[in-house]
Amino acid sequence: MKQLVDVIEILLVEDNEGDARLTQEALTETKVANKLHWVEDGEEAMEFLLRKGKHANVPRPHVILLDLNLPKKDGREVLAEIKKDPGLRRIPVVILTASEAETDILKTYDLHANCYITKPIDLDQFLKVVKAIESFWLTIVKLPNSRSL
Amino acid sequence: MPRRTSQREKEPRADDAGKPIGIASTERDMTARNREAENLRRLATVVKDSNDAITIQDFEGRITAWNRGAELMYGYSEEEALARNIKQLTTPGKVEEQEDFTRRLIAGEAITSFETQRVTKDGRVLDVWMTVTKLVDDAGKPIGIASTERDMTARKREAENLERSNKELEQFAYVASHDLQEPLRMVASYTQLLERRYKDQLDDTAREFIAFAVDGASRMQRLINDLLAYSRVHTRAGEPELVELSHVLGQARANLATAIEESGALVTNDELPVVMADPAQMVSVFQNLIGNAVKFRGEEPPHVHVSARERDGWVEISVRDNGIGIREEHHDRIFVIFQRLHNRKDYPGTGVGLALCKRIIERHGGRISVDSEEGKGTTLTFTLPEGRQEDQPT
Repeated sequence: MKQLVDVIEILLVEDNEGDARLTQEALTETKVANKLHWVEDGEEAMEFLLRKGKHANVPRPHVILLDLNLPKKDGREVLAEIKKDPGLRRIPVVILTASEAETDILKTYDLHANCYITKPIDLDQFLKVVKAIESFWLTIVKLPNSRSL
Repeated sequence: MPRRTSQREKEPRADDAGKPIGIASTERDMTARNREAENLRRLATVVKDSNDAITIQDFEGRITAWNRGAELMYGYSEEEALARNIKQLTTPGKVEEQEDFTRRLIAGEAITSFETQRVTKDGRVLDVWMTVTKLVDDAGKPIGIASTERDMTARKREAENLERSNKELEQFAYVASHDLQEPLRMVASYTQLLERRYKDQLDDTAREFIAFAVDGASRMQRLINDLLAYSRVHTRAGEPELVELSHVLGQARANLATAIEESGALVTNDELPVVMADPAQMVSVFQNLIGNAVKFRGEEPPHVHVSARERDGWVEISVRDNGIGIREEHHDRIFVIFQRLHNRKDYPGTGVGLALCKRIIERHGGRISVDSEEGKGTTLTFTLPEGRQEDQPT
């Protein structure tokens, strides 16, 4: 049977501190209890997901918010690696980026991103991103095996 | 008229009934032969004085003829050239090509023109467009190769420069769209957050200041996005295909549904033809032109009419409105990027729309022009290549 978790674990992969903080602020306005884990580049994101090094004891995130343009390993590579890994590929990935370039959009959908959101300049719109994450939350609790991995 | 060399009287021939049927054949042959000789002399002059390099070589590559164009292009005088082999003009990478077409020509194959490279006396590498033909003697025996070469170096470099500058522009646009928007979003988001969280502690003046900051940031974002669209007209375009302009117009109207409804505008059209174009870019053109017609409205509810007519294989499309019109002195300015004729409060916009239309139409080989008087509405007319059935790719 469904077993509700208390806190939604969110992994945010974002190199811009201002954006990270803004996401955090937006999440404080949502009703869903959440914990935000922030990593600054693609390499660290994979270490977090594979629980390597200092990330040995981190929880498995319920949803990943992924920026596309990142230092070291960029968001497209991270996305491709997540979707290739049988242990990770069911985690919903929300692409969060400032790029409106259509090639980015097509390419990330080709890589099975679950959702693509252009970072809005307007704060109210940014808060809608949080609502999108809430809806993923609802999806997650309906997925029978999502937490058993 | 060619000179006649024969001094003989003409000897008209007549049939049995005495009806003239021609002139003595000897004289006719002489005239024809003289005409041919004259033509050959003229052709020889053309070859000699041509700006293209025209040369003859035997099958071993020894140069046997060298015109003035070849002297100018490669820097070798006729005398110098005749003592040389064509291989000395061949770049190392093209030696095989030279041997290959020589072999094929001897075998009797017809070779069309092709692009290759040649080296000048002072070591410069030229991009040339070459046409080679096999020469035969009177008995039909192959004796060598005639070659015509046109220097394409400058034109090729121009094309490469254009391509590079288009790429650089797009690269710049990408950086602009991403890297410039990031700090911009910081400014807008945090001022909004400030207002949201500290509204009760702020007075009206503080809120007004915040509104200005947010407005400035969102305007800059629109500018950046429009600039991005402008820069991508060449690099991100689709191949032209057969496009029904009525569909394109329908799409543009749907995109403008809110603006059309709010202004009470009436958009009508004639029957529209099929053209060869990039459909997405055509939607963008109609959307900008109709959007402008609705935005720059007069007292009356806007009426926009789209008409079409065909002219010498081209389609001429006009978008006419009953709006405020444009004074003639501004007619050139409206197509320049970021040029605006009004203040932002009355008529919002970035000043990119018509510049974008112009760039799109010109990319399709067409033209765009304006016909307007202040207070008497505006007609924008553009041309596009007509779409014919055989243009359809299979």
